[in-house]
Amino acid sequence: MKSNNDMILPKKKKNVILRELKENRMLYLMCVPGLLVMLLFCYIPFSGIWMAFTDFNVVDGIFGSPFVGLDNFKYFFAKNSMGWKVTYNTLYINFFGIILGLIVPISIAIFLNEIKSKIFKKLTQSMMFFPYFLSWVVVGAIIYGLFSTDVGVVNHILSYFGVKPISWYSQPQYWKAIIIFANVWKWSGYNSIIYMAAMSNFDHSLFEAAKVDGANKFQRIINLTIPMLKPTAVILTLMSIGRIFYGDFGMIYGIIGNNPVLIDEVTVIDTYVYQSMRTLGFSYSTAIGLFQSIMGLILVTIANKVSKKINDGEGLF
Amino acid sequence: MNNKRKKSFSDRSISIIAYCFIGFFGVICLYPLILTLSASLSSEKDIVRFGYSLIPKDFTLDTYHYMFLNSGKQILKSYGITIFITVVGTVGAMIITSMMAFAISIRTLKYRNIIAFISNFTIVFSAGLIPWYVVCVNYYNLKNNILALILPSIFSVWNMFLMRTYFSSISPSLYEAAKIDGANYFTIYWKIAIPLSKTAVLTVGLMYALQYWNDWWNALIFINDKDLFPLQYYLYTILSNVNAISSGRIPAGASAGITLPMETVKMAVTVITIGPIIFLYPLVQKHFVQGIMTGAVKE
Repeated sequence: MKSNNDMILPKKKKNVILRELKENRMLYLMCVPGLLVMLLFCYIPFSGIWMAFTDFNVVDGIFGSPFVGLDNFKYFFAKNSMGWKVTYNTLYINFFGIILGLIVPISIAIFLNEIKSKIFKKLTQSMMFFPYFLSWVVVGAIIYGLFSTDVGVVNHILSYFGVKPISWYSQPQYWKAIIIFANVWKWSGYNSIIYMAAMSNFDHSLFEAAKVDGANKFQRIINLTIPMLKPTAVILTLMSIGRIFYGDFGMIYGIIGNNPVLIDEVTVIDTYVYQSMRTLGFSYSTAIGLFQSIMGLILVTIANKVSKKINDGEGLF
Repeated sequence: MNNKRKKSFSDRSISIIAYCFIGFFGVICLYPLILTLSASLSSEKDIVRFGYSLIPKDFTLDTYHYMFLNSGKQILKSYGITIFITVVGTVGAMIITSMMAFAISIRTLKYRNIIAFISNFTIVFSAGLIPWYVVCVNYYNLKNNILALILPSIFSVWNMFLMRTYFSSISPSLYEAAKIDGANYFTIYWKIAIPLSKTAVLTVGLMYALQYWNDWWNALIFINDKDLFPLQYYLYTILSNVNAISSGRIPAGASAGITLPMETVKMAVTVITIGPIIFLYPLVQKHFVQGIMTGAVKE
């Protein structure tokens, strides 16, 4: 009797699946190209993760190369190796990126809201949004124009004040800051739009009521606007924290290029993977990439849980 | 009375701070671009003597002349590659993305959550650069292949979910009516959903176009052949040589073989790379802002 039931159930289930696939055939077909792209470029590469645990060579292929266990990871985190340094750089650049990425776009959104002149508002908004449209290579060219030793604007300004010109491109200590500010410069206009979208949904009667009660602009910003922007800010911040182990390859390489003096100071996990692919082999760099993916997965899961707790069950994904 | 004046003083100072802050940041965003443009229109002599300046001391088109005489062929070729990958990539990406977004926006689709999960998982966890590279080069033969500049970025899960948000806001009763008239889901998608989501199509289309136009990472990874260099990557190769030499670490013997492009030429190539964006920007900006705003609100 019981076995009979077991026999029928899977069959029934299969029928249900087939019927659903047949009924909504067209909709599933429309998903096929997208699913295919993900299969080719996201899921099939998963098989290559095995390289992280082997000493890969081309002749033996991915699965034929000798197994070495966790040796690649041990090498990455050995004393005086680059492992700690690139992880530190990644977290450092992203941490300040997140902080400034909160303060600047929110300030822009709040202040733009206070501006009455429509022309001024439109003009400045277009100006601030423009950097979003530029590639990191172009940003790199612009930064070169600012910081080049002989002809750069910054050195000219410094010499105006009697300061000796600085050879920026051979002094690594400045570049973390330059990169963090370049990132803020590029993204603030775009991110402020998201906060302005949130502000346009605010309940205006609350602001009117506060006005009637005699609250001035400053008090309204502190006690109404900022608390009401908090949910948006929390979501965006949690998303960035989920990706804190990921560096922006384009940003680092677009600005630094392959300048051998500067690269060690600002190299992040992503750029280090690329560099070591050429010098230290595929297995080692796969292991670093895997370390990054696993850390990313852990952090995203945590961020998602936190978001669910804060936003009544509404997760990030 | 006193209180009232104090209040208006505080309000006014907020306004003044707002104008100053916004104005200041706006100028900071625009200033480097004007600098670049001005440098490309200056003579090399002036740049070397006075450095970059906001207005060209001596307006001249010499740099552009020189550049097109010297490397005009390469620039035109790169331009062609960039336009090709932008057009083909954007159209392809829009078709793939909007079809899938539409399909999983239909509430009666039973396995749409599974499809959404499959998509989300690719954001959360990835195999990393090396396995991806090995698969692309060894199995798909993408090394020095123009498809390498198109296929890897032809589908973005983020953009797909953004489009789904728009499609979800269309009332299902519209679809029901069409279905009674005998339309299948593809017809509904093409004839109803897409025309009703113009802002979304425009916004996501622009995002893809921008991504393809600005891409140089795929070229860095896959392309050695100069004939296939997109514009951005061409600019990158110029700049990174300059950059490496400015570090002072490259021995003189090695750098002697590389002729440094002049300051003005670098900036002129940059201007050419941004060019079409500058012309399109005023036209698309408004819709783009609108699209991002509505998308952000509905999320």
